[in-house]
Amino acid sequence: MIRATNLRKRFGDNEVLRGITFEVPPQSVMGIIGGSGCGKTTLLRCLNGLERISAGTIECGEVKLESSLSRKEYRRRVKQLRRQVGTVFQHFYLFPHLSVLANIIEAPVHVLRSPKRKAEAEAHELLESVGLEYAAQRYPASLSGGEQQRVAIARALAMRPDLLLFDEPTSALDPKRTSDLRALLREFAKHGHTMVIVSHSLGFLAQAADYMMYLEGGEVVEQGPTKEVLNSPKDARTKEFIRHAS
Amino acid sequence: MKRFTPISSIIFCVALLCNSFVVHAQQTLRWGADPSGGAPYVFTDPSAPDRYIGYEKEMVDALAAAMGRKPEFVPSDWETLVSALQRGSFDIIVNGLEPTADRERQILFSKPYYIFQLQLTVRRDDDRIKSLADCKNRVVGTLANTAASRILNQQGIPMKGYPDPVSAYRDLELKRIDAVLMDVPAEAFYVRSNPKLKQAGPPFTRGLYVIGLRKGDEALKKEVDAAIDKIIADGTLERILKSWNLWNDAQVEFQAPIRAGNKTAEVAFDLTTATFNWHDALLRLGRAAVVTVLLAFGSMLIAVVLGMPLALGQWKGPALVRALCTGYVEFFRGTPVLVQLLFLYFGLPVFGVTMPGWLTALVGLGLNYAAYESQVYRAALEAIPRGQWEAAYMLGMNPLLAFRRIILPQAFRIALPTMTNDFVSLFKDTSVAFAISVWELATAYRELANASGQFLFLGVVVSLFYLAMSLPMAHVARLLERRLRDRSERPESEELSEAEA
Repeated sequence: MIRATNLRKRFGDNEVLRGITFEVPPQSVMGIIGGSGCGKTTLLRCLNGLERISAGTIECGEVKLESSLSRKEYRRRVKQLRRQVGTVFQHFYLFPHLSVLANIIEAPVHVLRSPKRKAEAEAHELLESVGLEYAAQRYPASLSGGEQQRVAIARALAMRPDLLLFDEPTSALDPKRTSDLRALLREFAKHGHTMVIVSHSLGFLAQAADYMMYLEGGEVVEQGPTKEVLNSPKDARTKEFIRHAS
Repeated sequence: MKRFTPISSIIFCVALLCNSFVVHAQQTLRWGADPSGGAPYVFTDPSAPDRYIGYEKEMVDALAAAMGRKPEFVPSDWETLVSALQRGSFDIIVNGLEPTADRERQILFSKPYYIFQLQLTVRRDDDRIKSLADCKNRVVGTLANTAASRILNQQGIPMKGYPDPVSAYRDLELKRIDAVLMDVPAEAFYVRSNPKLKQAGPPFTRGLYVIGLRKGDEALKKEVDAAIDKIIADGTLERILKSWNLWNDAQVEFQAPIRAGNKTAEVAFDLTTATFNWHDALLRLGRAAVVTVLLAFGSMLIAVVLGMPLALGQWKGPALVRALCTGYVEFFRGTPVLVQLLFLYFGLPVFGVTMPGWLTALVGLGLNYAAYESQVYRAALEAIPRGQWEAAYMLGMNPLLAFRRIILPQAFRIALPTMTNDFVSLFKDTSVAFAISVWELATAYRELANASGQFLFLGVVVSLFYLAMSLPMAHVARLLERRLRDRSERPESEELSEAEA
């Protein structure tokens, strides 16, 4: 579904990503884990085009991003990429001046130019699937953190992305909400959504992700099926991280 | 020295002070007049700007000499001369003052010293106007609260009041008005050397110039009257008037009996009386209020619209655009709005752009407030978290769509309270338009209060006018603010219909 090859990202002299290669197969969930400052959020921002890559390639469906592209061409391809990739930010960034329903139909109506009635019907279905149909007319500021996150997920899904990116989805959730979210994501995976989840919570990813990638210092230390990485880590650094996390 | 006690020293000092005060009061003759554009009465000497010259200046010098006093000139403002005299800023008014019934109620008059006439002036190429009778449907400029303005009022001719003759004649040249009616001394000084203007018909009516004194100042009046007789009798005044080209048949006729020793001689003249008409005054105030409201709304519209490209240019524009926008903002914020208006009104015609007063005020205030609004917008736009942009981009929006649908509505909520404030402040700032003779509330107050002497009453009325307009606006703005805020904070929204619409 998405493949990164020898991906590098520099901010001035500081190289944050040092040649990352991985692939997420369709209809699977990839968990990216690592400590603070390991580059996992930057990696996510490269995958959705918010940061321009310094070297390497990103391939997603028909779209290929390369560091050698001209500014204009890179921007054009990012635009195509974003038709396929949805993002749920750590802080959600719901639009505070719009109701929950309006948040969800905003992009379908104004970007995809769907008829408003159709977009609303779909939005109500999405709200139902995340268990929030009661909140359609409310405004984001009146919702709890968990409710806001589910609105953000519904908003991203309304654009029918092939790939959904999550940045630290559990940071604002209590244990009950965390397990609810895990169930929800598993449900999505079952329905064929591909997801990439960035998190520092090993426990969450252990049950939510099919594949796992451990990052440290901007490099991939270890990657593979979740069970393999957790049960028989090959690299000493991975072992150390798992030991501290459990 | 040793017997010099503190008490005696205090007494000594007090005595000294009293003495100097008495000497001061006996020796000076403090006179007030408006020297701005005041030629040939009294005005700043163009060749020595720290000195005042003029025929009345020379006359007061002669009067003071005859009285054994030292003249001291107190520059003042024509429209507030009477109140300044009553307040004691000076002791006499010498400024081509005409005795009128309403002034007589407030101050004392000396003997007359000059017979003036009125002269109508038009542009040299204008053959439509030959006399005042041809001015029925045209705007005639003059000084506010003068014999000329009263005659125009009586004849129902649309009038525009100016603070000085210079700006009246300049507006005539610029075709902002069709004619100017002015006392002959000013007309003689300004028009006869101006190739673009000409006299329309002969001078008409006769009026008197007198010196104004505080009520009850009879002793000084006696002194002044005697001095006037003296400088007429010994030919001093004739010499002064001749040197200023103001000597004419009317003066000969007026001075002859006095110079023959007949001190009670009467001279024929027409008195223009200003009977203050309250009905008329309130109508004029109402009209001024309408102008003020239109001015405020019009310039706010310009400011709100023009502020946006300025804010965007300064915020996201390329270096050159950013520098230009910053330059604009700094220029308009860093110079007084009064100076900007005067420049637009008097300076721009030099480049061939001549706007009427109301338009100048509208554009000037609009340009000025656009600078402020742009900063309000910029601050509001910068206050929107970066994540809002990114969330919009991630949903496939382009920058323009993200700006219009996501950023702008949020920034508007942040900017609204400040914009409201600015509007109320702009509302009051419309009063600077009086400087370019726009008939708005502040101008109306000044002219009507000066004509009637009702500073307190009219002041209250005008303040009520301002409040009656600014309070509802502030209220509406508060309602709007609350509505917008509630929308994003109300736990349960009842506006189902709106979302469905």
